[in-house]
Amino acid sequence: MSATLSRPRSLPAATARVRHSLPERLAPYAYIAPFFLIFAVFGLVPLLFTFYVALFDWNPIGEHVFVGAGNFNRLLADTRFWNAAWNTISIWLLSTVPQLVLALGLAHLLNHARLRLAVWWRMSMLVPYITSVAATTIVFAQMFDRDYGLLNWLLGLVGAGPIDFLQSGWTSHLMIAVMVTWRWFGYTTLLYLASLQAVPRTVYEAAAVDGAGAWKQFRHISIPSLRPVIVFTIVTSTIGGLQVFTEPLLVTTTSPLTCGAVRQCQTLTLFLYEQGFGRFQFGYGAAIGVALFVLIIAIASLNYVLSTRIRPERG
Amino acid sequence: MKLRTATSAALVAALALTAAACGGGGSAQPAGDGKSFEFWSFSGINQKQAVEDYKKVKPDVQVKLTEVGGSTETAQALTTALAGGKVPDLVLIQGDDLPKFVQQPQNFQDLRQYGADKIKGDYLDWVISQSTAKSGEIIGIPTDVGGMAVAYRTDLFKQAGLPTDREEVSKLWPTWDAFIETGKKYTAATGKAFVDNAATSVFYQAVNQGPQKYYDPAGNLVYTTSPQVKTAFDLAIKTAQAGITARLSSFEDGWSAAMGKGDYAVISAPSWLLEQIRNNAPATKGKWDVAKIPGGSGNWGGSYLAIPKGAANPKAAWDYIAAMQSPQGQLEHFLKSGALPTTPSVYQDAKLLGRKDPFFSDAPVGKIYTDSLLGLKPFLIGPDSAAIGQEFLNAITDVEQGKGDPAKAWDTALANIKTAIGS
Repeated sequence: MSATLSRPRSLPAATARVRHSLPERLAPYAYIAPFFLIFAVFGLVPLLFTFYVALFDWNPIGEHVFVGAGNFNRLLADTRFWNAAWNTISIWLLSTVPQLVLALGLAHLLNHARLRLAVWWRMSMLVPYITSVAATTIVFAQMFDRDYGLLNWLLGLVGAGPIDFLQSGWTSHLMIAVMVTWRWFGYTTLLYLASLQAVPRTVYEAAAVDGAGAWKQFRHISIPSLRPVIVFTIVTSTIGGLQVFTEPLLVTTTSPLTCGAVRQCQTLTLFLYEQGFGRFQFGYGAAIGVALFVLIIAIASLNYVLSTRIRPERG
Repeated sequence: MKLRTATSAALVAALALTAAACGGGGSAQPAGDGKSFEFWSFSGINQKQAVEDYKKVKPDVQVKLTEVGGSTETAQALTTALAGGKVPDLVLIQGDDLPKFVQQPQNFQDLRQYGADKIKGDYLDWVISQSTAKSGEIIGIPTDVGGMAVAYRTDLFKQAGLPTDREEVSKLWPTWDAFIETGKKYTAATGKAFVDNAATSVFYQAVNQGPQKYYDPAGNLVYTTSPQVKTAFDLAIKTAQAGITARLSSFEDGWSAAMGKGDYAVISAPSWLLEQIRNNAPATKGKWDVAKIPGGSGNWGGSYLAIPKGAANPKAAWDYIAAMQSPQGQLEHFLKSGALPTTPSVYQDAKLLGRKDPFFSDAPVGKIYTDSLLGLKPFLIGPDSAAIGQEFLNAITDVEQGKGDPAKAWDTALANIKTAIGS
């Protein structure tokens, strides 16, 4: 930015030398306006409106009664909210940890110099990502089915009893985590791969000359060079993990809004949807939305702190 | 993982809320062209048939029928539409979803202006009273009622050494306790599950068989003290613990599949459920029969037609209601699709009483289902009835799946209801 034509206007020397006409000065704003206008209409206004609605007992087809912090007090005392929060974190952990580990390993393998059909292998990583979530979920839900599922059939072959995945807490979380992992590991792998490709090949060659095996190269070259992007994926996966919605919505057909009889796999967004659009308690739903927003802002701030503090070790 | 903006979750909610804020009923009343109207129904209730029939009588009228989804989705879509202002001309609302709308009658056309108060005597009192608002507006005309019975597999009963004739089968279970005992005999003889589940096949039936469900006639919540509710709940827990259920939640994929495979021999069947058995398990034709429900009478389900306030063609929509929901219209619809009329004047009609269903071993379904309504003691359905029922159902399912503690299930259900409805 330092030596371009359009110097910052705050520098008197710059404005003295180059005079811009009014259209020229407005042009940049016009160029960036579409995004900000659309953001205002579809992002900012609804967001502010959510904050407003959260203060009311808001019946969409009836009265709107001001209740102040009432919805938030109710939320904090609501066991269903804490249950949903716990489910969300549990599903997030069960999906993120294996996903990142898997992606790390795969990225390292795909980065191998002598891999044949490298582009084909790399591109096929993206197939789960471009598959419709709904389709993935329906297929997986059938595989996990108690009575007719492929998985229980396989378990039966080795003499293990059928598992009712959906009915207990952690197996239902595992089931959803598998779907989430399946969909996102390829995307994460490609992120890591892109970062690895920026490491000069000579670094690996030098290490090999020094006698470092594949594992040592992975630990001492790949991992440190990936550190920023690992931080990035952890943070984005946290944000995404807090918003898992479609998978729990579609794994059951009879009680989709609660993801099972005892809300065993109901996530925060699903709870929001249940209250807002299932029960039409818009005020309460908005309060859940605000809580989620605060949670996500907190994690986004953490992102900022981490990404400014942690620098790659390699110069 | 997911590269979305940090705020999108909150925005999802906010977007729709904005749409909601733009609502508010338009008060202008366009009569429309009278020649076309838009109709939202839910699936599985065969309103297509009714619309086809109407086109034969009124070939110049255009009906745009949309099957929005299940009854709950349709009610949700309607709520969003009412809040947003873009509404259909005619909408089908399921009985359990109706009270929320009746509480806000300003969103609907008062059907008295078209003469609904003159024909309301045609319908069962307790059914039409559900769609009458406190201040007297009639916002819906009932299309059908549930009526109750039990569908059972004659071939499986025979294998278990039980009688197969529907009169004798009805005598097996004068009460729900006898029903459970029969189930134990069946399961002991065959090693297979007797009934699909405890929650809908026992609790939802038994709780619909008395004068007072979750609300008293004055509209006060009585679900904690109503003996009818507690009795039905205890029966369901007892059924779950007896080990005679297939533990399949109603309407789940596995439930539909098991229907064809004979994984359970008995299912509680309100009149509208027969259509689902036919569709889910067409290969079992002739293997089913229909017997009386334990306890003899009761009602589960039923729907209403309503016209939103902002409808563009209310008159055309009303013409449809008047033609199709007359006693004669309901009788004809029953003969084609099996939905039980809400108009008692046709209950003695030979065509209704004589209707036999070949899929169900020629069971006289017209007589069985109307009989189940005759001894009925109507109860009030309130705005939170659906939510309360759902929590009871969840607690029973939890016990049935072997996770919940049966001794604590009742208290758990009450606590969850309190959280869900706030009182």
